[in-house]
Amino acid sequence: MMTEHPANGLDDVVHQRVRLGIMAIAHQARQVEFGFLRTTLQLTAGNLGQHLTVLEKAELIQIEKGYEGKRPRTWVTLTAAGQAALRNEITQLKQLIQQVEQVDGTPAAD
Amino acid sequence: MTDESAPREDSPRELLAAVRDLTRQVRAAQRATWFPLLVFAAITLIAIPVYRYAPYLDVFDTCRSQGNHTVCAGENPTVLGYWTVALVAAYALIAGFYLRQARRRGVGTPVRPYIVVGIILAVLMAAASIWLIYHPLPPLPADPFSTEPTYPTPGPGGWLVLGLASPGSVIGLALLVLAWVERHWALLAFSLGYLAIGLVQGAQVIHTSSPWFFLPYLLVPAGMLLLGAAAFAWFRPAAQVPA
Repeated sequence: MMTEHPANGLDDVVHQRVRLGIMAIAHQARQVEFGFLRTTLQLTAGNLGQHLTVLEKAELIQIEKGYEGKRPRTWVTLTAAGQAALRNEITQLKQLIQQVEQVDGTPAAD
Repeated sequence: MTDESAPREDSPRELLAAVRDLTRQVRAAQRATWFPLLVFAAITLIAIPVYRYAPYLDVFDTCRSQGNHTVCAGENPTVLGYWTVALVAAYALIAGFYLRQARRRGVGTPVRPYIVVGIILAVLMAAASIWLIYHPLPPLPADPFSTEPTYPTPGPGGWLVLGLASPGSVIGLALLVLAWVERHWALLAFSLGYLAIGLVQGAQVIHTSSPWFFLPYLLVPAGMLLLGAAAFAWFRPAAQVPA
C-alpha cells in the first residue's frame, strides 16, 4: 500500500511564506496587531491586507477592528481551525524534510 | 518592504526556519522580565521597616505573659499581612504592566499563567504560615519562658515546608512559570539560582539579639532581584513598536 506524499497534505492557503508567517506570529502572540505584523513581516499595508483577507475568508484567522484612544487598531487572532492548519503545515513540512533526507541519504540542503 | 506577493518558492527547511525566527521575534517583543524582578526587589526592600518597626498584633492569640515578660510564638501577623498584600498587589501591578506593553507593542501577552500561579502561591503562603503558627516546626519548648538556650532544628522536611511558606519561594516558584511561558532560559537559570540561595539562606539561623537580625534575609534576595532586573533590562533586545 502506498503512503500519501506529505506534499499532498499541504494546504495552499497556509503554504505560502507570508501567510505562514502571519499564522506563526498570531499563534505565538495569541493576539497580534496589524502594525506589528506589517513591521515584522516587512510588508506594505495593502499587501498584508490582501493576505489577511485570504486567511479570514478561509476562517483561519479572526479580525477585530477597534480604537485605542483615537487610533484605529486591527487585531488578528488565530481561530481553532487556524491552529489546526498551522500544526498540520508544520508537521507536513517536517515530514517533507525527512523524506528528502531519506532519499538523499544526507541532510537536505537549504 | 514587499508590495507584490509574487509567488516565491521556499524550501520546507526555509519555511520552518522563517517560522522559528518569527516566533523568536514575537517572544522577544512579549518579554519584560526586568519589571517583575524590579517590583519584587522593591517590596522586599520595603519589608525592612515593616520587620523592624511593625507592632506584634496578637491576632492568633499566641502570646503568653509572665510578670513583665511576654513571649509570642510564630511569625508577626503584621509581617505576614504585609507580604500577602504586597505579593498580590505586585502581581496585579505586573499584570497591568504586561497588558499595557502588549497594547503598545501590538502583541498579546502570555503572562496570565504566571499571574494566576503567583497569586495562588501567595494565598497558599499565607495559609501555610497561619498553619505553622498553630503547628510550629520544630515544636516549641513546653515552657515558653525557659531560659535554656535550645536551638532545635526542624529537619529536612520541616525546612522544606518552612521554605515553601516563605515569600522568597512564592517569588521564585512563580518566576519559574514566567520562564516557561516566555521560553526564557536565562530567567530559568536566574530563578533556580534565586530559589537555591533562598533555601541555603533559610537553613542558616542567625543567633544574635540585634533587632536588625533579619537584614541578610531581605538584603541578599533584594540585591539579587535588583541585579537580575538590571541585567535583563540591559540585555533586552530593542523592541519594535508599530507606528
